[in-house]
Amino acid sequence: MTEIRISGGAVHDPANDVDGDVRDVCLRDGNVVDDVGPGARRIDARGMVVMPGGVDIHAHIAGPKVNAARKLSPDDRRDDALDRTELLRSGSGGLVPSTFATGYRYSLLGYTTVVEAAAPPLAARHVLSELRDTPMIDKAFLILMGNNQVLFELIRESRGAAGAGADRIKDAIAWWLDATGGYGVKLVNPGGVELWKQDNGVVESLDDEVAGFGVTPRQVLEAIGGAVNELGLPHPVHVHANNLGVPGNVETTLDTMRTLSGRQAHFAHVQFHSYGGKPGGLPRSRAPELIEYLGDHPEITADVGQVMFGPAMTMTADAHVSAVLRDLDGGKWINHDTEVETGCGIVPYTYRAGNYVHALQWGIGLELFLLGKDPWQVMLSTDHPNGGSFLSYPKLIRLLMDRAFREDQLRRANQKAIRRTTLLDGLDREYTLSEIAIITRAAPARRLGLRDKGHLGIGADADVTIYHDRADREEMFATPRYVIKGGEVVVEEGDLRRVDDGRLLSTRARFDSEVGRVLEPLFGDRYTVAFEHYPVRDPALREPAQVVEAGGA
Amino acid sequence: MPCSSVADLCPVTCAGCGLLCDDVMVEVAGDAVRLTPDCRLGAEWFSDRVRSGEGPPATINGEAVDVDGALSRAAELLRAARRPLVHGFDGATVEDARAAVALADRLGALVAAGAVTGEWPGAPAIPLRGASTATFGEIRDRSRVVVVWREDPETTHPRLLDRLGLGSTDRTLVVVDDRDTATAQRADVVLRWPRERDLETLASLHVLQKGLAVPSSDLVGGLSELIDRFRAVPHAAFVYGPGLTDGAGGQRRALALHELVRALCHQRHVVTLELLRAAGTRSADDVLAWQSGYGGFVDFASGHPELVTATHPLEDVDVTLGVEAGVGGCVAAGPGVEVWIGTAAAGVAAAGTAHRLDGVPLALQAPLPGDAPTAAVLLTRLLAEIDA
Repeated sequence: MTEIRISGGAVHDPANDVDGDVRDVCLRDGNVVDDVGPGARRIDARGMVVMPGGVDIHAHIAGPKVNAARKLSPDDRRDDALDRTELLRSGSGGLVPSTFATGYRYSLLGYTTVVEAAAPPLAARHVLSELRDTPMIDKAFLILMGNNQVLFELIRESRGAAGAGADRIKDAIAWWLDATGGYGVKLVNPGGVELWKQDNGVVESLDDEVAGFGVTPRQVLEAIGGAVNELGLPHPVHVHANNLGVPGNVETTLDTMRTLSGRQAHFAHVQFHSYGGKPGGLPRSRAPELIEYLGDHPEITADVGQVMFGPAMTMTADAHVSAVLRDLDGGKWINHDTEVETGCGIVPYTYRAGNYVHALQWGIGLELFLLGKDPWQVMLSTDHPNGGSFLSYPKLIRLLMDRAFREDQLRRANQKAIRRTTLLDGLDREYTLSEIAIITRAAPARRLGLRDKGHLGIGADADVTIYHDRADREEMFATPRYVIKGGEVVVEEGDLRRVDDGRLLSTRARFDSEVGRVLEPLFGDRYTVAFEHYPVRDPALREPAQVVEAGGA
Repeated sequence: MPCSSVADLCPVTCAGCGLLCDDVMVEVAGDAVRLTPDCRLGAEWFSDRVRSGEGPPATINGEAVDVDGALSRAAELLRAARRPLVHGFDGATVEDARAAVALADRLGALVAAGAVTGEWPGAPAIPLRGASTATFGEIRDRSRVVVVWREDPETTHPRLLDRLGLGSTDRTLVVVDDRDTATAQRADVVLRWPRERDLETLASLHVLQKGLAVPSSDLVGGLSELIDRFRAVPHAAFVYGPGLTDGAGGQRRALALHELVRALCHQRHVVTLELLRAAGTRSADDVLAWQSGYGGFVDFASGHPELVTATHPLEDVDVTLGVEAGVGGCVAAGPGVEVWIGTAAAGVAAAGTAHRLDGVPLALQAPLPGDAPTAAVLLTRLLAEIDA
């Protein structure tokens, strides 16, 4: 029995309305408890800040696209090697670290839970294998469903079929989650990836028909978004809207939000979807409009997808975007088409402060953070590694907490772009520690439906990060004093002291098993994998897992 | 559904080649193995492994020993090695490869996910520029023109052409090969030139696709027509493999192919498919990439992984560990000693996970479960023995 008393720290636990109160936090056997015995290890946290372990709601850390990016970019990692030790496996870092390095570095940053935000269901075995080699963190993955030809068929057939058709879609989604071990449902450029794979086509409006399938992006959003809501999955539908990166795309984003109106939904990396202007022209910021819409619609949450100046690795199921970047940059490019389900594009990319578009993207991200009235609604992400590495989170936090630092950085960015944002209009907000605790752990955990994470109430997972309370917030958040995972100290004084395997997080929703009879012939016509071999049943891949039950409508 | 014996006749995944066909029914009668759908290569593969359970569980220099003794000797060899190499993986699963790379990390070994023989083909092409790729189903459902470049899948991957939908009237199969292969016999168009001209031919195709002229004296026959075929379709594919990439300059040729495909992609959707010979190669390469950050050929000697690119690194190797090479087993070989330990063949006697040559991960079943350990189990025990 491991018992720990974290004594005398300033606790920031916004989910329980604790805002910097000096109090003890007690841990026993992997959970937060109200008290521990006199023999408990005492961690003297006086002068320190105590928060729940970080929760990353949207990152790309495992699976075929991540691994393809590793193979594409050995030069990015050559000078960032991790030596093997008695405790740790060797690895390499860079923008797309090896699996062990990914786990170690998230842990060193104080994160204890990470969501891989886009996995092809067909590749679930690969994703699960990689996650088994990603230690230190609890992890989940979202399955890509927005361009699934089988679902397209069910959606088309459901029109006019009243409730039965919708039930069939619901059952199919639950079946897919059960078959893969996925935690939630991701829609990426619904309908648009299929058009890209057909003949390099694109979606321009939500009412464009997906050739050959008789469905539109709007119908896909309505059907799958509605089904996820009705299933009561712990995490609502996670949307990467159409037209990412295209000037003027805020209209598509707002249309997408309106389409899902009244339903719970999470919008990913909204910075990339908040642009005014016209396609082919220079983008403008429409962040204020987007934030205003969010303010009026508490059922919608978002993560920002902040870009950070410097190198990045763009990787997306929205492969058309990668082809655009390929032509802009002329550098390396990977495209991979996955049958029935999705696509993938990868392009190494560098965001430059002097570049108008990059500076505007950077500025829009900051606007979204600073204009948002409810930090529970707008969460921190860089869409790692698309906008920058997760290792840049401390610098991003400093940009939000330290106005003087932010103003200095603003002066270094392309001024024409910055003038087209509201950042120079007296936007002097500085995030508090509790607000940082909300956007980096409490809100993501709540939105993911992880009731035992993101807070320090009795019964919560004993995932805790303890920071020195430094004036330099970047340094503070880059080097936690202690990280406790599952009730064990895993990081101390900036060193990994213990290796934890981490758990897989998955969900379970009830479905009519007869849906298999519907899906099997549709599989047979499309997949080159036998229907009976598609589900992942191997306990070595699926277990141990923490299963979060869907609540139902 | 697992089979208690092959007599139950349930579909299994055949790991006889990188296609990992998972719709295969197996019948065993004595030494005879019959597969449905019919596949000579798959039947041979199953037949070899059905028989491989005969004989001792392990040997040292050909003398029968028990597994524990063999593991101890292998551990001695590897502990004393100055420059160990971990290679093979022909029949390895993801689980085997995970254990092998963990062991290589501990040993500070070289790891080769693919072949280690032959001339050094040069630094890998894909990290230089990337690639456009697809799974089988994408090619089957969309590509109207498929070019098979100096490969003979009818022999090496017997069901490939059928699985890619070739043979139907709206598909064109173009074979580039100066050999008279079984695949060439099925082709709609055969383009013949010596392998030595592949690089310049790919460069010529690149020029032609831009609409520029190439002096006719520099052109091999049929290139302009090939470009016209691409221009007529929205979707096309290239199938390539060791015929292009093996030997000196192999990766330069691969780079030229990927550059051509990239250029073609501006007007249409074009993808490539690399024909890896062995069923386990893709799994090993993927595992190596996620555990180390690098694919292909990785050196752990400095305490961390480094990608081997510049030269052939095998000169100093003194102990090799072959993992599921050939008909199977783990073989540790050093100066004057060869230790062999039999393993349960994945896909016949043991279950596991394998990555198809297009990257799709699949389950391997165990239609004839055996008592032998898997390579993953053996390698994990070997690591524990070395650490003891």
